[in-house]
Order: sequence, then C-alpha cells, then structure tokens
Amino acid sequence: MKVILVCFGLILSYLPVAHAGPPVIEIEIRDHLFYPDTVPIPADTKVKLLVKNLDPTAEEFESYELNREKVIAGNSEAIIFIGPLPAGEYPFFGEFFPKTAQGKVVVE
Amino acid sequence: MKTLCVVLSLVLPTIAIADNLTIDKVYHPYVQAMEKEVEWRMVAADGDHLQRLGIGRALNDRIFVEGYLIAAEEGDTFRMQGYELETRLQLTEQGEYAIDWGLLLELEKSHKEDEYELATALLMEKQWGRWVGAANMWLEYEWGDAVKDEFETATALQARYRYSPKFEPAVEFYAGENTRALGPVAMGDIRFAAGKKLHWETGVLLGLSEKTPDATLRVLAEYEF
Repeated sequence: MKVILVCFGLILSYLPVAHAGPPVIEIEIRDHLFYPDTVPIPADTKVKLLVKNLDPTAEEFESYELNREKVIAGNSEAIIFIGPLPAGEYPFFGEFFPKTAQGKVVVE
Repeated sequence: MKTLCVVLSLVLPTIAIADNLTIDKVYHPYVQAMEKEVEWRMVAADGDHLQRLGIGRALNDRIFVEGYLIAAEEGDTFRMQGYELETRLQLTEQGEYAIDWGLLLELEKSHKEDEYELATALLMEKQWGRWVGAANMWLEYEWGDAVKDEFETATALQARYRYSPKFEPAVEFYAGENTRALGPVAMGDIRFAAGKKLHWETGVLLGLSEKTPDATLRVLAEYEF
C-alpha cells in the first residue's frame, strides 16, 4: 500500500498544474506559405506557437527535427509547444503543400 | 528522467498483466485531427499467432476511435477470435508539460463465447533530445461465462531513438501475470503523397521468465491517410 501511495504521489507530481505560460509566437499560413517563414526563438526556452491557418484548406505543421506534427483545419488555429531547445536550425513544412509551405525555427 | 525511472521501478514489481494484452504494441498519447488509418498487426510465438485488422479515424484533435477484427492461429486452426472497439484520448498538448498524457479505452468481445474485456491504459510520453520514452499502464477487467471475472494490470515501456523518419531503433519491455519480455524493435515511416504514409514496426521480444515464450515476434503496418 505504501508503495502504491508513493507511486501515486510521484505520478501526481507530473500532472498539469496552472502556471505562467511560455512566450507566444504567431505564425500564419496564407496561400500555402508560412508567415514568417523564419521563426527566431531563444535557446533553452519553451515557446508556444500559435499557428493560424487562413487558407480554406487544411494544413499539417510538420517537423521531424522538432518532433511535432499538427493538423490545422482550414480557417482555424492550433497551438504547438516547442522547446526548450539548444541553438540551431529546425526546419518545418506543411505536409499537405510541402513544395511551398516551408519554414524554420532558428534557436539563438 | 530520474523520477520517472523511480516510478517505474517501484510500480513494475507490483504489476501483473492480462496475458492477451502483454506483448502487443506501445501506444502514444497523440491524436492527429482528420487522420484516418487502416492497421494490421501480428504477434507470433511458439508457432501460434494473433492478428488484428483495424480501421480508425480521428473525430477531432483529441479523440481517435478504431475498430478491430481479431483472428488467431493455434496449431493448424485459423479462426476469428473477437472484436474490439478502441478510443484514444489526447489529454495534453505535446510538449506542454513535463510529460505528455493520454488515455486509452478498449472493449473487446469474444467471437463465439460470452466473454468480454474492458481495459483502460494511461499513456505517457517524454522526450530527452533524440530519445523518447513511452509508458502504457493498463488496467483490465474481464468477465463472462468461460473466464474468471477479475481485474488485471499490465505495463508496456518503450525507449526510442529518433535516428531518422524512415528508421528509428527502440527497446521495449512488457510485463504481465505470466509474461516478462524485453527486446529490440525498429520502426519508421514511408511517405507516399501529401498526408499519406505507411508506418511500420517490428521487433523480437525475448522472454525473461519461464512462462514467457523464448521469442515473440511482433509486426505492425499502419496506413495513414
């Protein structure tokens, strides 16, 4: 019983709690392009990307380097948390329109 | 990482597992809106194998539902074994908290027998650089005419190295009432067109206890569209 209580307590310590949120950076998708297509963020800092898809068609924000993929329906928005990350460049693209929807996160 | 290891090391010795849940796959706590998939997976050991064929779709960016037909080959007999309805819930955004959380709910009915299983699993995932750790903690209740009505628990763990989208090596561990297994797994994605890809996984889990088969092969193919 004691072991179960200890485990339960440790798991609870990882559950979501209210706290001051990370900085928010807005990215827009228009005509299957990302605006801005270069997103600078500080190193070792968690960031909240607010991706607004202004196109009528869905797009998927995808980046293997960031380990993120998120489908954003047309004329809607989505939140993507990234970081903390070491300095470097992390490319991302739009899965549904990869030829035009290209961008990168630059961690400085 | 240290805290998670402490949790798992404390929990694992207390855990017993429903055998039919033990070596299968490790679930991840994420749902992609608008995603549809056809999935086939097989677990084989000692000349017998169990196969699942499923079709599923996301209802929104938080809920994914999938239905399965389950068939088994034991000896020379290949037959329908049951049906399963599964719902996966993404509880938190990826990277929002120290651990990403999800929940899985499953209801399975035997094809011919009056047997049922209701299972739920807490899905956890955390990334450390190129390494990703995933844990599934199962609680199952089975009942019916031919089975003993009882609760059982299970655990599945995965440590995966993000080498490339096409190939990611991993190690998985499964624990159960009659099962302890550990072994290498590989997985990857093959992209066909925008929004369409084949995800594959395969591995061999080596038995760590007398009641566990020496080697269990698991294979998964999932076409997402």
